[in-house]
Parts: sequence; C-alpha cells; structure tokens
Amino acid sequence: MIKEIFEAISVLAIPLIILGFVAFATKKKVPVYESFVTGAKGGFEVAVKIIPYLVAMLVAIGIFRASGAMDLLVKGLSPLAHLIGMPPQVLPMAILRPLSGSGSMGLMTDIMKRYGTDSFIGVLVSTMYGSSETTFYVLAVYFGAVNIYKTRHAVAAGLIADVVGMLGALLICKILFH
Amino acid sequence: MLNYVWIALVAIGVIAAASSDIYDASTNRYRNGEWFEVRYDSISAEAGTVSFTKEYFDHFYDVNMGGSDTLVFPATLSSDSVRITLGAETPEIWTTIAKTAGSEKRLDAVIRRHTDGYLFVVFPITSLVRTKAVLDAVISYSSLAVTISLALIGVMAFWLGIMKLGEDSGLINIIARVMKPVMARIFPEIPPDHPAIGAMIMNIAANMLGLNNAATPLGLKAMEELEKLNPNKGTASNAMVTFLVINTGGLTIIPATAIAIRAALGSKDPTVILMTSFFGAGLATIAGIAAAKILQRLKPYRIEKVAKAAEAENK
Repeated sequence: MIKEIFEAISVLAIPLIILGFVAFATKKKVPVYESFVTGAKGGFEVAVKIIPYLVAMLVAIGIFRASGAMDLLVKGLSPLAHLIGMPPQVLPMAILRPLSGSGSMGLMTDIMKRYGTDSFIGVLVSTMYGSSETTFYVLAVYFGAVNIYKTRHAVAAGLIADVVGMLGALLICKILFH
Repeated sequence: MLNYVWIALVAIGVIAAASSDIYDASTNRYRNGEWFEVRYDSISAEAGTVSFTKEYFDHFYDVNMGGSDTLVFPATLSSDSVRITLGAETPEIWTTIAKTAGSEKRLDAVIRRHTDGYLFVVFPITSLVRTKAVLDAVISYSSLAVTISLALIGVMAFWLGIMKLGEDSGLINIIARVMKPVMARIFPEIPPDHPAIGAMIMNIAANMLGLNNAATPLGLKAMEELEKLNPNKGTASNAMVTFLVINTGGLTIIPATAIAIRAALGSKDPTVILMTSFFGAGLATIAGIAAAKILQRLKPYRIEKVAKAAEAENK
C-alpha cells in the first residue's frame, strides 16, 4: 500500500506542479507563454557555464578511479571499517558514493547481484546509496553555475555530512536487520 | 579545500597508476612473450574450442582462481594465430590483455608451436595498463562533462520557464511565506521575501519527492538568486554553502533510483530502504547543516578572510 502511494506521488508530482503553476499564473492574469519563454532563455547559459567546472571535477575523479587507487584506499581503510563493524564488502560504496553517481549506482547493482537484494549487505548497500548524494558532482555543478571557485567550507561540511550519512545507514541497518 | 582535494585525486591517481604499471612490468604480470599451452579437440578456420585447466592457468600467471576444473573457450584458427572468444568465465588477466589489445570480446594469440592436440601460443604484449586506462579516463570523462551539461539545457530551460511563471504570478512568494519560520532559521542572511527562498524550497521539495530531473535546475536557479545577494563574486556565501550541503545530504522521501534497481534485481521488498535511507540522509543533512554553521565561523573559512584573499589574487 505504502509502496503504491509513493509510486503515485513520484509519477504525479511533476504534472501536478506544472498544472498548479500554469493555472495559478493564468488566474493572476500573467501572460503565461511570454513569461515562460523569458524564464527559459537562461537555460542555455547556465548549462554551458558549468562545463569547465564539471570537466575539472569529472576528469580528476576519472583519473582517480581508473588508476586503481580506489583499491589501495579500500585496503587502507578496511581496518577502520572493521573497527566500526562495517562489512568489508560495502566499504568501496562508502568511498565511491560522494565521488561518482553512476559509479556508485553500478557498484550498488554489482554488490546486490552478488550478495542478494534482501540480505543484510544488500539492504545496507542500497541504504547507503540512498543516504547521500554525489557530493563532488553537486559541488561542481552548483558552484559552477554561478562561477564560484572559492568554495570555503563547502567540501568539509559536505564530507562530514557524507560520513555521518554512511554511519547512520550502518547504524539503522544494524538495529533493524542484523 | 577543493584545491587540495583536486590535487590529491589527480596526483594520487597518476602516481598509483604509474607505480602499479612499474610493478606489473617488473614481475612480468602479463607474461609477455611466454608460451601458453592450450589443448584442442577440433579446431578450424570456422569453429572449434581450446581448453586448459585452472591449475595450469594459476601456475602460469602465479594467481589464484581456485578450483581445478577445465575452462573451455570457443576459438578459430588462421595460418599463424588463434582467435579466442571470451565469455563470462574469462579470467581477469585475459580480459585486461584483450582490452589493452583493442577488443573486450576476443583475444588473438600467435601460435609458436603446433603439435597434435596442443597449441603453444603467445599473447599480445601488454604493458602500461593503468596508465592507458588513466589516459582513456581523461578523454572520456571530459566528454562526459560536456554531455551532461548539454543534456541539462532542455530541462534547465523548462524549469526556469516554470519558475518564472511562479515568480510573475506570486506563487513562489506564497510558498516562501509558508516555509518562512524554518527557512529564516537556516538562512538568516537571506531576506524572507527574496526569490532565493522560493527557489530553494522548490529545489528541496523536488529532492524530497525524488524528482532528480527537476531538482538540479531548481537548485541552480536558487544558486543564481543567492549569487545576486552575494557581495563577494567568486567566493561562496554562507547561505550558498548551507544550501549546497542540504543538497549533498540527499534527503528524500523516495529514493527512486535505489528502489528501482532493487526491484529490477528481483527484491521481495524493494521499498524496505525507504525508512532506513530517510534516517541516514536525515542524519547526514542535520550534520551537514550543523557543520556548515560551525565551520563558517572558523578562521580559515571566514568570509572576510577568503574574500580578501580572492580579491588580492585577482589584482
């Protein structure tokens, strides 16, 4: 039941938002077509603006992933994971999640294929995936759109949030499913 | 700090790739030039198979695949070489050799000796595997960045259009007013009736509903509005960082991607992670906001200091 409700929400949300905005604008006698086009003009500019920032970020992450440095990092961090009771199979997920959206999605699929979707590891890895966003991608795109390169405490705060998210996922899964 | 992260990713990547290639070369990991022995029952230019035992493979490459059964691969013969078709059972080393030689699906080996039922073959010279992979990554990820950006143009334009309707009709203002008590606390620097508040609420709502396609354009719109209030061009304002951390926390009622993949893989209960990932992302978001609020007061991150340094650089 809950599942159906959620599915309905995620399918209906966008049409309803669009309908709501257009209907309200019509009621307020806004020239709808004109107003929409004026706003939409900015789309190209914003998208093009983020290209250099995204190239810089994705290439650095690409080099890191292709070099095999990930495996070294996983090896280096595994004693720490063992200490907090994190299964070693999901450690790569914790590291990759903030770096790469498509990469962590592939990793999640891979781990669930290997250990089963409904096993403790399967539930944990998908919870970890859902407990955070791709921090560095968001950072590059959002700051890129407004040409910001002095990011101040954004990286530190974002990484703190990521670590807490991963630990929170581990904690709740241990309480509920272990 | 992004500077250091960037340098670290690139430098560690390049160094790791180079050292792993040097190590592979010094141990001749891919056994360049050495003769590998395969058995065959029947093989011709059109069809046939070659086989070897896992034990032999492990001994040859000094690896441990485990097991002692025989691996069989389809193969065809030409005058001086044999073409092996790779499949799901292919050992990792062979996949790497094949990939480096140009094709993931087949492996061409030169025949050095041909006796009754046995072939002695040499595989293509394989070296600098990691370095080549890094070079490939540079090219493909640069293109990926452009692909992602260009794909954004359409949705971006659409949502900017919708947002403009909301602004002109005053709907965004109404939404902002409803959420005022919460937003004023998280973003004390932003005037409560500023369009930035409305855009941020729209972005957060889209994230909560798992509408990724809408969330990014709305988020970028919010960043533009925040930038209008930012006196220090090129330097992030407190509100921007806080808003960004809310986005990286990924708080959502419907983790659509994870649920879809779980369902596709045949989970009995794909939505079991609704609650758990809400918990995880909720903690992450709270921790992120708290961290942003605390860190913004610390010396190295203080706005006056960073902005002054940025100004000095520009001169």
